[in-house]
Amino acid sequence: MAATELAVPPRPRVWPRIAVVTGALVVITVLTTLPTLGGVEVDLDAIARNWGNGAERIGKLFRPDLSILPRTWEPLIETIEMALVGTAIAAVLAVPLSLWAARPSNPRAATRRGVRLVLNVVRAVPDLVYATILVAMIGVGTLPGIITLILFDLGIVVKLVSEAVDSADASYMEAGRAAGGTQTQINRLTTLPQMWPMFASQVLYSLELNVRVSAILGIVGAGGLGRLIDEVRGFYRYDSLATIIAEILVVVILIELLSNFLRKRLR
Amino acid sequence: MNAAALHEPDVGQVPAKPRGIVVRLAWTGVGVLLLAAFWDLGIEWGRLVDLPADLLHYGRLMFADPDWAKLPEALFQTWRSVAMAWVGAVLGVVLSTALGIPAASGVGPWWLRLTLRGLFAVIRAVPEVIIAIIILTVTGLTPFTGALALAIGGIGTHGKWTYETIESVPHGAAEAVRASGGNVLEVARWGLWTAAAPELMSLALYRFEINVRTSAILGLIGVGGIGDMLTGYTQYREWDTVGVLIIVVIVITMSIDAVSGRIRRRIMEGATVRDLDRSP
Amino acid sequence: MPDRTQRTEAGAHTTPASVSWPIDLSHVTVRYPNGVTALTDVSLHIASGEMVAVVGLSGSGKSTLIRTINGLVPVTSGAVRVGPHTVSALSGRPLRALRGHIGMIFQGFNLADRASVYHNVLVGRFAHSPTWRTVLGIAGANDRDIAMRSLESVGMLDKVWGRAGALSGGQKQRVAIARALSQEPAVMLADEPVASLDPPTAHTVMSDLLHINRERNLTVLVNLHLVDLARQYTTRVIGLRGGKVVYDGLAAHATDADFEAIYGRPIQSRDRLDR
Repeated sequence: MAATELAVPPRPRVWPRIAVVTGALVVITVLTTLPTLGGVEVDLDAIARNWGNGAERIGKLFRPDLSILPRTWEPLIETIEMALVGTAIAAVLAVPLSLWAARPSNPRAATRRGVRLVLNVVRAVPDLVYATILVAMIGVGTLPGIITLILFDLGIVVKLVSEAVDSADASYMEAGRAAGGTQTQINRLTTLPQMWPMFASQVLYSLELNVRVSAILGIVGAGGLGRLIDEVRGFYRYDSLATIIAEILVVVILIELLSNFLRKRLR
Repeated sequence: MNAAALHEPDVGQVPAKPRGIVVRLAWTGVGVLLLAAFWDLGIEWGRLVDLPADLLHYGRLMFADPDWAKLPEALFQTWRSVAMAWVGAVLGVVLSTALGIPAASGVGPWWLRLTLRGLFAVIRAVPEVIIAIIILTVTGLTPFTGALALAIGGIGTHGKWTYETIESVPHGAAEAVRASGGNVLEVARWGLWTAAAPELMSLALYRFEINVRTSAILGLIGVGGIGDMLTGYTQYREWDTVGVLIIVVIVITMSIDAVSGRIRRRIMEGATVRDLDRSP
Repeated sequence: MPDRTQRTEAGAHTTPASVSWPIDLSHVTVRYPNGVTALTDVSLHIASGEMVAVVGLSGSGKSTLIRTINGLVPVTSGAVRVGPHTVSALSGRPLRALRGHIGMIFQGFNLADRASVYHNVLVGRFAHSPTWRTVLGIAGANDRDIAMRSLESVGMLDKVWGRAGALSGGQKQRVAIARALSQEPAVMLADEPVASLDPPTAHTVMSDLLHINRERNLTVLVNLHLVDLARQYTTRVIGLRGGKVVYDGLAAHATDADFEAIYGRPIQSRDRLDR
């Protein structure tokens, strides 16, 4: 083909890295699908067998039973109220916590790391787990639900807001310090106003999430629509479930629209 | 008109800054709703006073002397939950990628894009627990149901992340492949995939992290795993075991988050650092 | 700086039965779906082996013009012919096959930054290789050889396994040229190839293009907005303004006044590379 020899440099071996990564992924996937090892049994047979049965019930989803609507109003309002109250209380608690967790507003590493660690631990427990345990502790009702939502929100809001404060330009604080202010004074007069748009935005975001969560907290007894959901699923009344799902969808979308509207105008 | 009047405006006549009436109304509305909510819920504020003491009491029951004998069982159930999370992530990522690519602008026709994005939005609004409840008529109360619910539920968010990532890729490389005579597959492979891959892989791993938490929740409705074990022991008020379970959940979740987070950072940094490594 | 004589030798060996096509536009009008008319009744003939500069301000239609030649932009009316083919009548596989013979480089280099230089150059062989090879990135021996030689001819062979994103602007553009060369093209298109480069590098890239034009007798069309580069490196200047051809003459005879007529305004320092 060609007469001249080219001085092609030696090719680096990338294959080992790609092979290792692919191999690891394959191995993990295999391990997680072996029932004998406690993995998930991907039982496509069962789908085929139960399909007739299940399909008929799932079919009911598309013929919503509207007669259940009157029974849903109260739980629905309860769900929304839980979400609102939970978000509000969490927002109040999140202000001092966010300031404690961010470096510019809390130069003392020990307390800062402590707050962050506690919140990481709080975030590691899923919302419904809190709800289950709280219900067993203090009984059925909306109170365990609200506490669950508060914990859930704090985990999210404080992390996001403190990270934003961390990465924001903290030069405005230098002015406060130069003028002789204490950390608390600086926080109150400069950090808070700077933080407010970001903070409000995250609170609105957590409100969106809360509505979704509070809708199902009732399944474990913590108030809201969940109790109704638990009831209808026990009887396989998927037509009623469809109505409830539709309500949840409507509320979630409305809250999302409201939240987006307010968040856009926060700047 | 004297000179002073020319330079100093009469402050009283400067129009007040418009304050976005609609926005203020919206916030006020929210405030009113809030007050109404507090009142309507009728929380017995008396109970709140007892609350800290109650919580401390239970806290002691759970953590003062946890029943470590149950640890092996707890770890096994956790493995089942993590397995559910992994399978759900794999399935979910495959489905989300297949559906997310046509949903990106510039790939599919507008009606397909709109339908898919609408589908993602609807799925996002439905909690995974409800998805699990729906599909368990077909697949039963098994971890497979959990994995499927995680996969389907994941399509909502991961599908959105997929098309957003694809749309954020600069178009130049794709144009060059097309200009050289490449077909759709070649354009996708070299004009799109090379740029989007690190972020997509990182998001897939993040999906798995989220799934680990959700799998515990799904266990609470009976699909198996640590959530299932938790419901059982909580119902029987065996607090010392519950304490062990909580500790296991916290430790495992935080560990997976830490490891996964480190891997994700390496994927993303490996992508950017090497680009910045300019040779003379 | 790579040794010119070495590159000349390598260039001579990589040129196959060297074809070089003329370009012909007749009464080409391009109207975009949003209503903007980018080109109006443009007719041009570029002989094979010519090196032509298309100059004009942004918005004059240069980018559209160059993209009608390889069909990246469809024409609304009129015909575009490249060599024996009528571009405006092709689509699908025949169009892709034709593009395989037309090399193109861009202002933004348009490399896959996260892929290796090698795979970027292989892109030039896509029209000539089966899809399974190109998607997996496993090139046949012939394609590999052609790619290596192209890199060698632009002096970038030592970087072949490195990441394209780690290169400087000038290096990236040379890899892009190698990519185009590996197509063994009959026409070379360059859309503002030096707009993102500093003056010394810009001169290097332009002289590379000139070299390719002379060595292989390849038809080269370059979009430029810099007056002195057009005069220094090309033999013919075509001026576009508002989607119409307003000037067409030898580069050596193009005066400042001619350029001012093309731009519709006096020459400013930003129209020259070397101030």
